[in-house]
Amino acid sequence: MNPQPLQIRLSWSDPATGQRREPILAVPIALGREFAQMPDELRGLRVSRILLNSAEVSRYHVSIDEDSGTLVVIDQNSQNGTFINGQRQARSVLGNGDTLQIGPYQITISFLASSSISTIAFHPDTDLPDPRLVATPSSDNFPPLVFGQSQVALQDLHATGLPVEEVDYAAIGAGLGSFFWVDLLRICGVKIDRIAALGMEEKPYARYKRLCMNSQIPLHERLRSNSDSCPDNIWGWPSYALREVWHDLLKGKVSDALGYLWQVFAEPDFAQTYTPRSGNVFDSIDRESKRIGWEQMFRHGSVRAIRKTSDGRYVLAYSRRRSSTGSPDRAFLIAPYLQLATGYPAIQFLPDLKAYREKTGDFESVVNAYEQHDRVYQHLEQHGGTVLIRGRGIVASRIVQRIYEARQKNKQISLLHLMRSAKPQGNKFGSSQRQVENHYEFQPFNWPKACWGGELREMLEKADPEGRKRLLAHWGGTTTADRRDWKRIVQQGVNEGWYQITFGEVEKVERDDTQNRTVTYIQEKGLKGQIRLEADFIIDATGLDAHVTASPLLGDLVNHYNLPLHDNGRLVVANDFEVTDMRNQRGRIYAAGAITLGGPYAAVDSFLGLQYAALCAVDSLAAVQAPRLERLNALSSLWQWLKWATNKSP
Amino acid sequence: MTPTLFGRWQTRLLLLGTVGVLITLPFGLGIIGLGADFVYFWVVGYIAVFGLGWDILYDHLQKFRWDRDWPGLFQLFAGIWEAIFLILIVKVLSLPLPGMQNLDIGWFVRHYSLVWLGVYVVSQTLMRILFPRWRFRGGQWL
Repeated sequence: MNPQPLQIRLSWSDPATGQRREPILAVPIALGREFAQMPDELRGLRVSRILLNSAEVSRYHVSIDEDSGTLVVIDQNSQNGTFINGQRQARSVLGNGDTLQIGPYQITISFLASSSISTIAFHPDTDLPDPRLVATPSSDNFPPLVFGQSQVALQDLHATGLPVEEVDYAAIGAGLGSFFWVDLLRICGVKIDRIAALGMEEKPYARYKRLCMNSQIPLHERLRSNSDSCPDNIWGWPSYALREVWHDLLKGKVSDALGYLWQVFAEPDFAQTYTPRSGNVFDSIDRESKRIGWEQMFRHGSVRAIRKTSDGRYVLAYSRRRSSTGSPDRAFLIAPYLQLATGYPAIQFLPDLKAYREKTGDFESVVNAYEQHDRVYQHLEQHGGTVLIRGRGIVASRIVQRIYEARQKNKQISLLHLMRSAKPQGNKFGSSQRQVENHYEFQPFNWPKACWGGELREMLEKADPEGRKRLLAHWGGTTTADRRDWKRIVQQGVNEGWYQITFGEVEKVERDDTQNRTVTYIQEKGLKGQIRLEADFIIDATGLDAHVTASPLLGDLVNHYNLPLHDNGRLVVANDFEVTDMRNQRGRIYAAGAITLGGPYAAVDSFLGLQYAALCAVDSLAAVQAPRLERLNALSSLWQWLKWATNKSP
Repeated sequence: MTPTLFGRWQTRLLLLGTVGVLITLPFGLGIIGLGADFVYFWVVGYIAVFGLGWDILYDHLQKFRWDRDWPGLFQLFAGIWEAIFLILIVKVLSLPLPGMQNLDIGWFVRHYSLVWLGVYVVSQTLMRILFPRWRFRGGQWL
């Protein structure tokens, strides 16, 4: 008899998006690629069926069921097998904290439930990550009542008495994604007074730079970006490597210069992949901003809502601030062509750490890597201590490097790296496999390189929605860069004993007031016992989040126009990045960045990916004969490049 | 570089037909080398035609690489291999390829190296400037 069905929690990061899935399911459970191929009943009990979208997963891959009081996992003669804690098994007893690897999916089994995914929002006025922020609906009468309709008439806007401005092109966000679009519009002939870019900060890289600095990438450090991904230059030439070569040659540093040339010629097989210094990238964006007149197009404002107008355009209701001291006022902006590039709506924050902060009010010893947390390193350099890092991507690597640097000042610093599960082998796709070392999975950039402009870009664009999900699952996942210095630091730390990697599922995080430290409790596999990890600081390096409904503006747009979303919560866009469901006669809205992942392009949140989205959108606008816009052809492209090279306004 | 097969073909034909021919002119007209000789143009032609086949092989090899990329150094290796192959079939196997009777190895190496270098440099510079979509489309410029 089974009066109360046994429940367990399966948790995994979606290989494509990195998003956490943590369903609590009643046993028996079936996992596979096709819903219809999995049984709906076993032993007379309803089966919880879970779809895993990857070609490496068989149609009915594996089942989890109860047998004589234990939980067993049974492989259903799957093609690629089921790995339990890294060992291929046909049938095995499951313990709490065990990991199940099925194709690219790393699933952790827990016998207990925990809270769901949590985030840290960006403050609407300062754009700083604000952990204490709770979203509240605005209580004032802005946007006005007419915004309740699906189309707004112009006379209703004027009747409010608020200022109404009209342009042809409006970029929402005014970050890097907007900058690339506006840059290209200018290069394709649109004049400054026909474009507006609305955002919180004038420098298009302001938020990006802040997140870089917070996650310990200072201006002299190198970004994870390709040499010819140039935010200031759509052509990618001269690349950052060539510019650095030129700069070093002028300073007489010939061997450094030759080294960079060799890097871009031989990477990644015979040389480490070249990446640009963040300071150089920001300086080049400043130059391009001046060249295209960004300052004149920028409007300091926080967009509250977007609506279609009855004359085939769109209206933005925004609160604007014309000086840093003055109070904000309200205004409308009308444009037939919009681009949405609002960036990541929020930062992902581990639920157990969020719970710790809420319970203890301690925002000092538990931090997210994207929050300002320099004080952690200052404290460590002075007093020593233990740091616990969660997550194993590029941010974790950079934090490990920062701790290594702190150790040069104080040897009494040690590092615990807590990972959810071991990573014995890398993702596979066709005849190739990703490289793994010390449980870090390596890749020069955040997607396989051909996702930007090669075979994989084409493959993804041609695939249907289900196929796209599968491909993204293959190519995605948390990776870090194959940097020699990082590998050396990890190996040295492991050898010297100050760096330790531990695997486990966190049960809870508490504060030990007698010792003034955090204590992380981890369930060991098979309910054998609990491990206590004591640390002075915990740094969450698990990443950013991009569920569009986390953004009040996008959430409102999705609700109001009933826009379709992908399973991962991102906007559905066409191959030219148009949000086709928002089309309004001649009016068009395009999107770019993390909010479009799941669509035609994988590397949406990179410099080059944003430039690609801008190019597709501007070409599409040229095709519908948007005003004062000429498609870039060989001749105009050469002419515009010459203007770029001589720093003349386009 | 992350070329696709169509991209490889299109770029190869365009660049050999323009840059390759331009560099070949002084050789073919006898301004450089042992005197005017049409053989240099034949060389460029054979490199283009055989290359369409080699590109299929390179494209296949690329699929074994996780990043599906093709570094500059691989382009150099491929260039060396294609030259060796041409010399092998003309000089060692003595296949009677039309137009290749007067091939002088020394001048072939000099001419071929310059053509390779010219094509490589232009693909890294001018192609990007003239065809801004080229690098996003795996080397397709059409």
